[in-house]
Amino acid sequence: MSTLIIKDLHVEVGDKEILKGVNLTINGGEVHALMGPNGNGKSTLLSTIMGHPKYKVTQGTMTLDGQDLLTMEVDERARAGLFLGLQYPQEIPGITNSDFLRAAMNSRRDSPISLFQFIKALDKNIDDLNMDENLAHRYLNEGFSGGEKKRNEILQMKLLEPSIALLDEIDSGLDIDALHVVSDAINSMRNDDFGCIMVSHYERMFELVKPTHVHILVSGKIVENGGYELVEKIDNEGYEWIKEKGIEIDNEEDFNHGIILGTCGKKEQLNNE
Amino acid sequence: MNNYTLSSQFYIVLYNGECKESHLPDRVCYHDGIITFCNISPVEVQIIYLLDKHQNMNVSLEIEKQTEVNIIESRILSLGSKLDRKIFIKEDAIVHLFGENDSLDGEIVEDIHLLDNALCQYGYAELSDGNFKGVYHYYLDGEGSEAKVRMAILSKQNEDKHYEVLIQHNKPHTYGQMDNYGVVKDEGKLVIDGIGTITKGQSGSASHQNNRIMVFDEKCKASANPFLYIDEYDVKASHAAGVGKMDEEHLYYLQSRGLTKKQAMQLITYGYLRPVIEVIDNDMLKERFEKALSKVGE
Repeated sequence: MSTLIIKDLHVEVGDKEILKGVNLTINGGEVHALMGPNGNGKSTLLSTIMGHPKYKVTQGTMTLDGQDLLTMEVDERARAGLFLGLQYPQEIPGITNSDFLRAAMNSRRDSPISLFQFIKALDKNIDDLNMDENLAHRYLNEGFSGGEKKRNEILQMKLLEPSIALLDEIDSGLDIDALHVVSDAINSMRNDDFGCIMVSHYERMFELVKPTHVHILVSGKIVENGGYELVEKIDNEGYEWIKEKGIEIDNEEDFNHGIILGTCGKKEQLNNE
Repeated sequence: MNNYTLSSQFYIVLYNGECKESHLPDRVCYHDGIITFCNISPVEVQIIYLLDKHQNMNVSLEIEKQTEVNIIESRILSLGSKLDRKIFIKEDAIVHLFGENDSLDGEIVEDIHLLDNALCQYGYAELSDGNFKGVYHYYLDGEGSEAKVRMAILSKQNEDKHYEVLIQHNKPHTYGQMDNYGVVKDEGKLVIDGIGTITKGQSGSASHQNNRIMVFDEKCKASANPFLYIDEYDVKASHAAGVGKMDEEHLYYLQSRGLTKKQAMQLITYGYLRPVIEVIDNDMLKERFEKALSKVGE
């Protein structure tokens, strides 16, 4: 069972401090929901854990099973068991999905996976995720629809079997059927050797993948911890009540619009309301 | 040096201007510096050019009317040597050519003439060690003729490489397309000149080119120069040129899946240069190309 421990994490982008002292512990077997208005640091937190070079840690510690993540490169963190499902996965021309997936799987193995084993694992997961059969031969995310890209992230997660997964708005851009497919896939991975942080704005996602812990991140700090009741409260009331506690919210224009129910809401829709 | 692998059923090895060994199919023959293709059904032939230091070699390929040929070439030139080559592709002939460059400090000058409705698709894998100069000129001398050129070039350490690709439209309704892709690392230098020329009266022609160079290190020198000389109104023409770094977000994405930076760079480079091997459908070529590209990660 893996444990990710984050203590007093401060992070800057450019000269702006985005995270201002985040504390969080995730154990294998747990699913943590990370909620909060747009622009308050959720994606920053996940990207910092993964080690994106844009984010500068100015204070605090992050360890995975006692290993100091801050001294590790992005790829070392991945091989240690972290996985980040991106909100906007990159499109890379010329690299086929199968070349990429095989290289990624081999990166954490002592001896390369046999072609037969690889194809078997790939075919099964492509089938489970209800994906295009030609996916293996298509270039990595190139020309994929939003939903296909997200499913491709989940496909990678299933093949790479991380100990801690970080999923950044994995539900955005998914239609209702795809949402079920993706949530089933995440649920199928739940066990004591798999921990997860999920960022989502929508109750629907957390209804399908029930979190064990819920956190609200506002202005770079976790201001509320609780269980599923917090998801329901946000779904009903938005984030207005946070302000009543004397907490300021960054990018306030975003949160006044509250939350769209359902699953196909997009940030654009929120902003247009 | 001078090592080559014969992988096709039919082949010819030309060493300093002489035929060293050959096994050619029916109606394909070599005589006095000229290889003539009159084959009835399509054939695949491997041609190896071997040149010792400071040697010059002149060779011509003549592809007769309505002939279809796949040619896989290895050019193995030694220091200071020069290969001067002409290809004549006659009416309605189709040629797919893949050329691997395994030279050390050499020069190749190539003139390729296409007659009516001839088609030439050419992939150059320019991953050689050492300096190199390549001058590849295509002349669309027949109406409806078509040249499609793809290049994948690697310049590394302190290699100095210069390539000039010209497609000149001398008849109406001709089509020329070149995609020249380069990667420069260490203190390598690479210049790509892409030239599209449509002479007067060649209406209905199209000339397209794309020159891109990806640089890895600060001491690289790279220049992608597109030229278009158009002397006719009713034509289509386009050019793109760019020199830039590898996309950091692409690297991050691959690394976040566990690939080391070196592996990620190698995979991105492979993806970037791989269209060149799509000219001929041959698994062996793909494997060899991939192996040659492992130089990128060194």
